[in-house]
Order: sequence, then structure tokens, then C-alpha cells
Amino acid sequence: MSFMEFKNICKKYENAERNSVTDFNLTIEEKEFIAFVGPSGCGKSTTLRMVAGFEEITSGDLFIDGKRVNETAPKDRGIAMVFQNYALYPHMTVEKNIGYGLRNMKIPEAEVKKKVDWAIRILGLEEFRTRKPKNLSGGQRQRVALGRAIVKNQKLFLMDEPLSNLDAKLRVSMRNEISKLHRELGTTTIYVTHDQVEAMTMADRIVIMKDGVIQQAGAPMELYENPVNKFVAGFIGSPQMNFYQVSVSGNEMTFSDGRKIRLSMEAAARLKGRDGQMIMGIRGEDIKLDSDSCNAHEPDQQKAVVENTEIMGNENNLYFTFGGSLTVARVSKDEVSRIGDEIRFVFLPEKMHFFDKNTEERI
Amino acid sequence: MLTKKQKGINWILTAILLVMSLFFLFPVVWMLANSFKPDAAITADMNTAAAFIPPMPGGGFFENYISILTNTNFLRYMANTLFYAAILIVCGVVVNGLAGYALAKIQFPFRERWVLLILLLQIVPMETILTIHFLMIAKVGLLNTVVGYILPMIVNPFNIFLFRQVFMNLPDDVYEAAQLDFCSPLKYFFTMVLPMSKTVVATVSVFTFLNVWNDYLWPSLVFTSSNLLTAQIGLNSITSNENTTMGQTLAVITMVTIPVIIIYSLFSKQIVEGVTSTGSKEG
Repeated sequence: MSFMEFKNICKKYENAERNSVTDFNLTIEEKEFIAFVGPSGCGKSTTLRMVAGFEEITSGDLFIDGKRVNETAPKDRGIAMVFQNYALYPHMTVEKNIGYGLRNMKIPEAEVKKKVDWAIRILGLEEFRTRKPKNLSGGQRQRVALGRAIVKNQKLFLMDEPLSNLDAKLRVSMRNEISKLHRELGTTTIYVTHDQVEAMTMADRIVIMKDGVIQQAGAPMELYENPVNKFVAGFIGSPQMNFYQVSVSGNEMTFSDGRKIRLSMEAAARLKGRDGQMIMGIRGEDIKLDSDSCNAHEPDQQKAVVENTEIMGNENNLYFTFGGSLTVARVSKDEVSRIGDEIRFVFLPEKMHFFDKNTEERI
Repeated sequence: MLTKKQKGINWILTAILLVMSLFFLFPVVWMLANSFKPDAAITADMNTAAAFIPPMPGGGFFENYISILTNTNFLRYMANTLFYAAILIVCGVVVNGLAGYALAKIQFPFRERWVLLILLLQIVPMETILTIHFLMIAKVGLLNTVVGYILPMIVNPFNIFLFRQVFMNLPDDVYEAAQLDFCSPLKYFFTMVLPMSKTVVATVSVFTFLNVWNDYLWPSLVFTSSNLLTAQIGLNSITSNENTTMGQTLAVITMVTIPVIIIYSLFSKQIVEGVTSTGSKEG
């Protein structure tokens, strides 16, 4: 049996018109790092709070370690949580914050001290142990919150957007710290974030949610390469996937501005019998400007005028209008096109994704 | 940056306020200066500037104070009042704090109506309720007891409202974190809520102290035994005694006034914050 199981979990707030979470089904294995990701209001935090016991489950069953916990008090669920705003106790020092739960568990003082010292050491908080939260930086506070969670030896960690209040640089370093901590402790973790980069870089599996419904659950690369619908395809990946309204006929695809491209054999076979309007998606890195790629697909070579550029250092993003849509191509840093330049490019045929025009499901 | 005109206005306002505060200080200075003098000196200095100048320290400087403290029970009355204030501060913070917390953080039917009701209670003058309190306390046989004096004074609608306003701003996730740290609701209140709300606890404590210290009507109804009397009643009984001299009267009044002045000076910040938090903070 799986370590955690969500069975048809629904959440509807009183007086709400629709469910915040609908028919949520998921199993989580022990030691897994799962990220719930989605836009604001998609139900990811609500689901996490139902796991914690802070929100009542309207219907469905939640199992942790084989035990149904729908009615179990938060403290008896065997969980530790890191909150978005840290939720530190403002009048207590770092070491008291970390040891507070242990002391309430009536653990002998010597052992409490040992565990607190261990947490302080591995989180690099030695010089701040007697400080109060107001005298700590955001990153230090977040580490105290992590310390408070790890000392209790609980079987499940819940993290609710723990890095959202940190600056970009600190977020990257804390991301690494959390991943490292997870590798060392091996505690099952559910991590909520709206940042797909965090989810991609940290999680073993990602659960993408929209309007309270799971859109897709899977390994990061699985979601990136095989999104089940347009929403997932657009949500995962930065810059976002390019989408075009196209019309397919046989092995030919026509864009809304009349330009035509031949489909790959594999795509043509997949779309056989589905001629008509649909959505084609392609990631920025699958639009190639280099001469080798252009020569290899010469008949389908396209032209466009660069409207904007983003120099990222390691690569460049070129923006141009094609097929009636603003398109972004991720190119190497050596590609030095400027605004107004005409560029030649090809779409890698095998990297195209097709979605139903009405349901937006992957074809 | 203040303009020249604004600076000028500020100076004028400061000067006016200074004159007004001197005006209010006059009686206090006069009382303090004369409390160290024998009656003959008080009469001699009357209507002169010397009335505002204390005598040179020397033999008999504290005569009025010593005679009051040795010949009357005033020290005991002061100790009684401090004792009642201490009990009422503890009980008031706990009871009104718990009520304020419930009204701020716990969902229950008609919660907002309860808040309104408590606010309405503030409109009712204390004197009108005193009779009912007196009858109830008399009926349960608690007249002339400390419990009888304290019980009706514990619950205070203003303090409940004050606590509620402050507790509403406490973050909910700290409570959730405490729950996961095996902290019971009651323990959370005492070890988290109160320490996180030190300012309002200080404000309520100051208000409670001042209420008890200045209260005359309720203790004069409840207490008949001289062992239990409060400073205000002691003040009245001492000053209305025809054997008490003018200097002694002023010494007693000074002793009753000074704690209040000290409390106001030390906790003026809390008093101002307490008053403003009932009205100006966001709910």
C-alpha cells in the first residue's frame, strides 16, 4: 500500500458556488518529493491544508500511512509544516522556536537540546541561535521554520510556498538546501508552489492543478515533454510554449496567416483522420535558427522579423510574430539577431505538440 | 520638510500647550509644596509665590507624612488597593483576554452580534449596574469580602473589545504552527497570544490599576470593615476627620495621587496605543 492516498477528495466552502478541490485522486510513495503546482486559486494550498487537518474534507478519504485521517487532529497526523510566512513564534529565540514542539512532546531536555543543536548545525544557524525572528533575515527565518519541522522526526513534511517571500538569489540557494535536506532525511514531502521552476528542479513528481482539478501528475520531464493538455503545456516551461491556430490536411499544416509547413511522418500518422482546425504548440528551444537545422528542413524554412530580444547571458530569447501569434525562440548566446533583423528558422517537426481545438486535450 | 510658516505655527502651538499644562500643574505643585509644611506655614504662604515652594529639607520635613502613616491605617489601605489591583489585573487579563480571543478568532454563531452587545454594554453607566451588583453580592453573602469586591469588577466590556481588536491582527498560521507543535488551545493563549500581545496586556493592566486605584463608589458599598478599605475611602475618612490638619490632608492626597502620575508617566505610550487600537486599527 502507498504511504499516502487521496481518494476522491473534494472541498467545497460554505456558500461557495463551486468546489475548491474536485475529485482529487493521488497516491504518494514513501520518501517521495511531490510538488503541487498551479496558478493562484487552483486549490493546491487548500489540498495541502486538508492534509494538515486545517481544512475539513467535504467528501472523499485521506489515508496517511494506511490510516484514514479525515477526522484526525492535525497534531496526531504525524506531519510537520513549513508555512509561507514562516509562522515563527516572535517572542522566542531561534533555539526555543525549534525546540518548542519537542518540549511539548515531553521529550527529556537533554534530548531536546541534542536535536535542536543538530538542526541548528545542519541549517547553519549557529550564530543566530539566541536571536529572535525579528532580528533575522528572510532566509534565516525560513531556515528556522525548516528546523522546527525537521527536529520532530515526523513522517510527512508539508511546505506551503516556503520560498515565495525570498529574493531570487536566496530562493535558488534555499531550493538547494531543501533538496539536500530531503535527500538526507528521506522524509516524504508535499511542496506547494506556483513557481514551475521550483517544482521542476526539486520534485520527484509534479501534480499540476487548475480550478481544483488535477490536470496531470508525473515526473518533471514527463510533464515537460508529454503534456496531456494545452494548460499543462503552457504552464510548464519558461518561456511558455508557443501556440498556433492551425489547419491540418493530410501531411500539411496551414497557419492562420496562410503559411504552410509539412508534418513529420510520425505527426501525420498521429493526426490521420483528424484533418481540420487544431492547436499546434512548440517550445522555444525547438525553433531552430542555425544553418544545419535550416538546411536539414529547407523546404519548411520560414522567415520573420525580430520584434524584441531578451539577452539572458547563457542564451537569448527572440520574439517575432508568426502564424498570427507572438512567438519566442530560445537561441544560443552566439545568435546575435537584433530588433528589425529578418531571421530564417524552422520548427523541429518531431517536437510539435497538437491539441484539440475545443477540449484542448493532447492529440 | 516643514516650511517656515509651519514651523512658526508649531512654535505657537507648543507655547500654548506649555502654558495650558502649567495651568493644570499649578494645583499639583501647590499640593506637593504645602504637604511638607505645618499648617501655620501654609496659612502664612497663602496668596504668595511661596505657596508653590516647598520648605528646605530638615527636621520635620516629612512630619505630615509620618503622622499619617503612623497614626492612621492609610498604609494598609494603600496595600489593600495594590493587592486588589494585582488580583484584578491577573483575573481581568485572563477573563477579558479569553473573551476577546474567542470573539476575534473562534467562529461561533452570532459572533458579531455578541461583539455588538458588548459594545452596547459600554453605553450603560457603571453606576446603574452597581445597585444590581450590590444586591447580587449581598444575596450570596459576599458583602465585606475581597471576593465580593473583585467578582463584579473582573469582566470589563472595554477591555474585552480592546483585546479583540488586537487579537484580530494575530496571524492564524502561528496558531496552526503551534497546533502542529502539540500546543493545546489554552497553552497557546498563555504562551503565545499573551506574550505576542504585550502592549495590550500592559494597556489593560494600566487601565485596571487606575480603575481600582481611583474607584470610590463600589468599595464604599461593599466594604464596611476598616481592614479591607481602599486608598480612596481611606483618603475620604482621613480628610473628613476634624483632627486632621491641612498639611496632613495634602500629604494624604499626594500619596494617593503620586502612583497615578507615575503610572501615567511610565505607561503613557501603552495608554495612547490602547485607546487608538479600539478605533483606528483595521479589523
